[in-house]
Order: sequence, then structure tokens, then C-alpha cells
Amino acid sequence: MRLSETGMRRLLQVSSALIIVGLLLEIVSLVWFHPLSFVLFAFIAATLIGLGILVYLTSLVFIVTPAAGNRN
Amino acid sequence: MEEATRGFVIGILICQIALSIVLAAIFLIRPSLTSAAGWKIVAFIGLCVLPALCIVGGMNTHVQRSEQTRFCISCHVMIPYGQSLYVDSPTPIPAQHFQNHRVPADMACYSCHADYTIYGPLNDKLQGLKRIYMQYVSTPPNPAAIRITGGFKNAQCLHCHLGARNFEENPVHSAMIDSLKSNQTSCLTSGCHDTAHDVANLDHAKFWKAVQ
Repeated sequence: MRLSETGMRRLLQVSSALIIVGLLLEIVSLVWFHPLSFVLFAFIAATLIGLGILVYLTSLVFIVTPAAGNRN
Repeated sequence: MEEATRGFVIGILICQIALSIVLAAIFLIRPSLTSAAGWKIVAFIGLCVLPALCIVGGMNTHVQRSEQTRFCISCHVMIPYGQSLYVDSPTPIPAQHFQNHRVPADMACYSCHADYTIYGPLNDKLQGLKRIYMQYVSTPPNPAAIRITGGFKNAQCLHCHLGARNFEENPVHSAMIDSLKSNQTSCLTSGCHDTAHDVANLDHAKFWKAVQ
């Protein structure tokens, strides 16, 4: 599967949004001194950040490069 | 780790997170920037390297925080256990250890309730998650009825006391050292050091007030 430039940009935006939300939740978990702050970090914030990284890496794998287009 | 150092580390981590947010926001607003080679590297740092470091830093901070006494007693059911550390009596083992700084006061719970094995800290965190589940989803237990699964292991006492002169020169200890090491004789329930957190009788207890 190959992604167009628009698809790549969309994936980058999704990745950025997931990472931003995850990082904001991580800040909340760091300033909130409560047993649930660990749960917030480990199960929600880290998952969102991890998903964001995964989406970004996926976009790198499936991107259409001009060189690949020329070869074809 | 001291409170000021902890605050400094969290401050650094929050700065790192803020930088990651700024970089991620740039690519949220202008994803087309990644067409340029230089920005591709910035994107890799902002959307992969820095967020990954934020997860590692956050996990490390949370794990260290969960070892603090005030973290443990921030759970409602643990409040009486925190109070029991201030009982003004020479008998309760936890109070004596806490008040005389035989364990670090800011890590008092973790010093005696950590499983000192290779996967010990991970097991402790899993136990902690189980307790959070009991607190918020299942039924929280009565504090006086809480018992450690499998009983209190001698290894948690011997982790510090084994090799200590006053422990090994005590004839009672030296006579049963093998039995203590193999956990056949319990330090707590065999009649020697049998008063731990007596939370059921806290109402009648006298409390020590620290000067500082």
C-alpha cells in the first residue's frame, strides 16, 4: 500500500494530535499527586503517545517517494 | 531523592514535554513542512524521539513517585496505616523504624513492602493496580482487615538486617538464622516481633509529634 502526499499529511496531523493530547495528559498526571495519576499516565497518556509515534512511523513506511515513482 | 531534586527532575521533564508539544503542534498546523529534508529530521525528532523520551521519563518519575510514603497514604484505606507510623510506643515495628529513621522516612512503606527480587518492583506495581481496582471498581476493604497476600516475607526484613552486627550477634537470631532465611519462622508472626500496624486500636493510641 502506498500513500499519496495528502494521505501522508493527514497521517502526520493525526500523529501530531495524538501526541499532543497524550503529552498534555502526561503533564496533568505529573502535577496531580494521586494514585490514579499513574493509571492516567500508563493507560491513557502513554498509549496515546505510543499510538501517535506508531502512526508517524507508519506514514514513513508507506509514503510514496518521487524516486520510487521515477523508477516505475 | 530529595524533594527539591524531585521537583527539578519533574521541571526538566515538563520542559521536554512542552518542547515536544510545540514541535508536534507545528506539524499539526503545517504538515507540508515535512517536504523539506531538514524538516523531515525535525519531524522525526518531534514526533518520535522526544515523545518516546517523554514516555520513558514519565514512567521513571511515576515509578519513583509511587515509592514515596505520601503516595502510599494518599489512598483512603492506607490513611490509618500512615497514622500508625506515628504511634508513640516502642512495640510497633513500623513506627519504630519510621520514627528512628531506620528506613528513609519519605520511603517508609516501600522500604518494608517491596519485593526485593529481579521482578519485584514490577510485581509491586501490579499489586498497586489491583488495589486501585478494588478502591474504584470493586469494594474497598476495611483497613484493619487488609492482609498481605502470602504473608509478610522475612526477606523484606533481612534485606537490611542480614549482615548487620546487632542483628547477627543477637543469640536468638543467630540460633534460627537458617529458619529465618528460608521463611520457615516468620519474624512477625512467630511471637517475637508481633506488633506491626495495629490499625484496629489506633483510637486508643498516643501519637508522637515530630519537631520538624
